[in-house]
Amino acid sequence: MPQISPIVIFFASIITSNMILSNFLGMCSYLSISSEYKTATGLGMAVTLVLTLTTFINWAIYHFVIVPLEIQYLSYIIYIMVIAAFVQILEMAMDRYTPDLYAKLGIFLPLITVNCAILGVTLFMVIRQYGALQSLVYGLGSGLGWWLAINMLAAIREKLKKAKLPPGISGPAISFIITGIMAMAFIGFSGIFTIQ
Amino acid sequence: MKKGHIYTFVFMVVLSAILVFALAFAYEGFKPSIANNTASRERRAILDAVGQTQARSDDEVIDAFDAAMKPVQIAGQNAYEYLENGETKAYALPFHGAALWGSVDGYLGVNADMSRTTGIVFTDQNETPGLGGRIDETWYKEQFRDLPIEDGRILTYGSHDDYQIDAITGATQTSQAILRMVNAMIQSVIFSGEVK
Amino acid sequence: MADKPMSIIKTQLFSENQVLRQVLGICSALAVTNSMNNSLVMGLGVSFVTGLSSMTLSAMRNIIPRRVRMLVQTLIIAVYVIFVDLTLQAFLPDISKQLGPYVGLIITNCIIMGRAEAYAQSNPPIPALIDGFFAGLGYTGVLLIVSLIREVLGFGTILGMNVNFFGFETWTIAIMPPAAFFIIGALIWGLSARAAKKTVATTK
Repeated sequence: MPQISPIVIFFASIITSNMILSNFLGMCSYLSISSEYKTATGLGMAVTLVLTLTTFINWAIYHFVIVPLEIQYLSYIIYIMVIAAFVQILEMAMDRYTPDLYAKLGIFLPLITVNCAILGVTLFMVIRQYGALQSLVYGLGSGLGWWLAINMLAAIREKLKKAKLPPGISGPAISFIITGIMAMAFIGFSGIFTIQ
Repeated sequence: MKKGHIYTFVFMVVLSAILVFALAFAYEGFKPSIANNTASRERRAILDAVGQTQARSDDEVIDAFDAAMKPVQIAGQNAYEYLENGETKAYALPFHGAALWGSVDGYLGVNADMSRTTGIVFTDQNETPGLGGRIDETWYKEQFRDLPIEDGRILTYGSHDDYQIDAITGATQTSQAILRMVNAMIQSVIFSGEVK
Repeated sequence: MADKPMSIIKTQLFSENQVLRQVLGICSALAVTNSMNNSLVMGLGVSFVTGLSSMTLSAMRNIIPRRVRMLVQTLIIAVYVIFVDLTLQAFLPDISKQLGPYVGLIITNCIIMGRAEAYAQSNPPIPALIDGFFAGLGYTGVLLIVSLIREVLGFGTILGMNVNFFGFETWTIAIMPPAAFFIIGALIWGLSARAAKKTVATTK
């Protein structure tokens, strides 16, 4: 387990090593569901929730199932199945117990299984040998970072609807360019955490 | 054909069984070659640290390593002594530390009287591929050949009278962490240990 | 109804290129596009997985229970990705180490699931194989273009060989994340501007 304070991991995963802006993970839904601020917020919330919990579950599964049984070569299958199953169960549980929340987030949940960020955080967490608390804050921080990025893009795109754009640039092309500028801005944050 | 619950269940069980079996079979097939890679990888890295960089096959690396490298304890660390015709030519000193995202392990090669470095290698690092992960690129590691080692003087990035090392752009944190752990190791092993 | 192989190939490589026209599969690979070597390996890995998983799923399309379709697709894709990962670990250990978790992330590459749903679901195995494989090659092509630009500007090299003949100062921005966004954005912009022009021309 690396000696890195969970607080540093938390902030670094939101700001300096944002899942989208520096790791390019979770781009598909980031691009396609960012034209409205409200829906982007819903998706961001759902991703944060699922990311935090599945990272932690996968941490436990890795340490208590995969390592003892020495089945590392099956790990990808196990992680993705855990994520798929968790999303399914969460969907049913939300439908049953919190219909309000379900109405808000329900439509996004199936999309989340194939969100690269979820599997990505799990894989990074395992490869970096994080402990339980480190994994939990890494999942939470990455989720919040993803949420922040999609909300920023959605806010900018809402404003852009009124702008007159050159032909062909509206849609994905302008989203990429905005994201590039956001990524450049976020590089400015690098160095605000010193790890000792 | 009616596809009820039982069919679905049986289908999933049979499919999973076939896939897991196929994977286990493939894994057994690849295992010797993966194990061989891991064995030669670390040995090749340590040889590289003491300046032995000629191209060799995996088996040759293992033979050369076993012939020339002698495990020694230096200041309580599991280091290696590089011998040429029975004469000590260099040492490979292990270092370990936390970088931006996880632990980094590696060896710093130093010459026989520990006054110059002979090279650096990383045996385990999990920084972000394409950013901090670039510490494992040749140009970065080559900069660590023949640097001065003096008591009370730490290595820093930039241009100096007798050496120059450049940090990785976009991965300042990781680059700084590497120098920090190398300097700490030099001080604790070479100067405050029983060596000098 | 099966399409002709040539027309599938052309569609997948150019007119409906998955990355540039459908904007899929961005996730797992942009991070490795700062060197052409990695891009090539990554692209071939994706082509292999997309082709074979499309073929397998198409062969099984009549026996997969509807309710677990997504699950079966994910399972099959994951199995092929593990094969690719093991192969890399066994034969290209250095590249495998450099790509790190991005090989595993091929599982969630939207192109693979996209081809399985859009094509393999309703077509016979051989066309599905061709469709999937060339969708992957179209993706490889884009990765190579992006990484060519980034490698030349950022390092002054092509496939690790020095091409910086004029001694220009390399652009560090090109190897950092923003450059990947800008280059992909510009490519998509160029293509859709051309497509838009064409439609205007034909309607006139």
